Amino acid sequence: MAAPMAGRLAALGRRLAPPARAWLPGLTQVRWSRYGPSYLEPEVNKEVYRTPLEGLSEEEKTQQELKTLQPIKATASNVTSSVFSDPTISKFTNMMMKGGNKVLARSIVTQTLEAIKRNQIEKYHQASEEERESIECNPYIIFHQALKNCQPIIGLCNIQKGGKTYQVPSPLKDNRKRFLAMKWLITECREHKHHRTFMHEKLSQELLQAFNNEGPVIKRKHDMHKMAEANRAYAHYRWW
Amino acid sequence: MAAAIRRVLRASRAWSAALRARAAPGAQTLRLIYTTTAVQKRNVAASGPEKYTEAFIKKQIEEFNLGKRHLANMMGEDPETFTQEDIDKAIAYLFPSGLFEKRARPIMKHPTEIFPKQRAIQWGEDHRPFHFLFYTGKQSFYSLMHEVCGKLLDIQKYQDRLRAQGLLAENRKLINLTGSRWLSKEELEEMLVEKLSDHNYSMCIQLLERLVTLPCCGIEEEYVLKFRKELAIQLKKMVIEPLQYDEQGVAFSTGEGKRKTSRATSVVYDNGSGKIIVNGVDYLCYFPVIQDREQLMFPFQFLDRLGIHDMVCTVSGGGRSSQAGAIRLASARALCSFITEKEVEFMRQAGLLTVDPRVKERKKPGQEGARRKFTWKKR
Repeated sequence: MAAPMAGRLAALGRRLAPPARAWLPGLTQVRWSRYGPSYLEPEVNKEVYRTPLEGLSEEEKTQQELKTLQPIKATASNVTSSVFSDPTISKFTNMMMKGGNKVLARSIVTQTLEAIKRNQIEKYHQASEEERESIECNPYIIFHQALKNCQPIIGLCNIQKGGKTYQVPSPLKDNRKRFLAMKWLITECREHKHHRTFMHEKLSQELLQAFNNEGPVIKRKHDMHKMAEANRAYAHYRWW
Repeated sequence: MAAAIRRVLRASRAWSAALRARAAPGAQTLRLIYTTTAVQKRNVAASGPEKYTEAFIKKQIEEFNLGKRHLANMMGEDPETFTQEDIDKAIAYLFPSGLFEKRARPIMKHPTEIFPKQRAIQWGEDHRPFHFLFYTGKQSFYSLMHEVCGKLLDIQKYQDRLRAQGLLAENRKLINLTGSRWLSKEELEEMLVEKLSDHNYSMCIQLLERLVTLPCCGIEEEYVLKFRKELAIQLKKMVIEPLQYDEQGVAFSTGEGKRKTSRATSVVYDNGSGKIIVNGVDYLCYFPVIQDREQLMFPFQFLDRLGIHDMVCTVSGGGRSSQAGAIRLASARALCSFITEKEVEFMRQAGLLTVDPRVKERKKPGQEGARRKFTWKKR
């Protein structure tokens, strides 16, 4: 649909006289991409390319053949095939970024992970033999688990009915859950932080608390769930 | 020579006279007055009466062929083997044009490329139309839909006969659709010589898809394949340079890359230890940000060739991230000479060999930036 639409708009733009052509309020396209519609997303994971042919099912084989015929988009600048590039961490860095300062955002995130690791190693050395096994030292695992613990299961939607706007409980998509978890974490750290503490310090504290299912972010998630439970009566207002 | 040029110019005058009704205002041609349709790149025929007769087109073709032979004679080439590319080069030589718009420069192409395909007059001397669907306005399209529907019913009847005999399970004949795509709307319009709406096009494709799902559709394979276009294997479009060897016998390969406004060239040497020199400076000093260095390493890390190659590259233009992206593309292209075809395909599927087409979007008048509008004031 995009290509014929583009053609129609271009034709319309050509037919109008030059001064009117410059700005067509109802007809300007907003969502368009420099890539055509046939371009596929790139697959960076090396393991995918190492699996032998025999290990694939029939469907996957036809998929592979089709892939050789279609053009692929260029990989983004923050994605690599190394084990150190993590899509969740990249997304989190982008959300932390202010004014395009990716260098600062990335340094904060790296320092946060370092701080988490330092805290955990300290705890490890101070703990007794039995407790040592249960202490998790890998900052990436802690980060992922903390975010997972912060994700709400159910969210609230504004639905207008009879002039009033009701908060209706509704299930959330995966993307939305991840976004809310990250957003709550970042806003929590930004707002309730002493002006003399560094962001990475505060973030590492919040992440460790979330990993243990405690702290303000988890509280906010529980508040959301309680609101949803309270508004259960309006659940039938949702039609999807 | 003068006669042939006069013929070309006279022909163009005739073309512009014929196209006066369809000429877009303010466009440019040979005579700098009207555009020819080849220049406008519209491939849909007129929906009105015939603008130029068949005899006219035939005469144009004769004149073109004669002019082609004269041109070949002028340029000292053999008239029998004078191709369209030679014609283009000759015209560019004889009529050097400083115009920036490529489509406004002098051209000499076969009349079928210049004049759009148009249909002969659809009605007879008694002013009654020949085709029974003439008054639908899109007779070719609706007759196509009828035809496809008829074929669908035929296949269903064939299937019923087989089912009655109990032979349906063995006689399944499906059409192989991998490696091809349906014709686009523009291509279908060109085929039918008729304008179509989006709804028409989607209906047509839906009907064809439905035909293809039937188990015995193989009987009409020829007919269906007329509406499919082959997709070329993407890898074949790339040209891979062979390895070069310098005085010490070390294999090396060059590659060029670009991203936004940055342009980079890189030379990748074999038997190295992973050193990278950018614009005469070590990569650690040139790219202090770790993200850029990761991008430089990306192609090597993907192929597990991190400590094997040395790289010397030059880059100019753009900012730090786009320079890193340009070097990444250049080094990926240079590495193609060192690896097998399969690995090149893997690199392509990882997105390392595609030029990133994203550039800065222009600012529009009436807005503050590319997307940002001015502050809305109620009064």
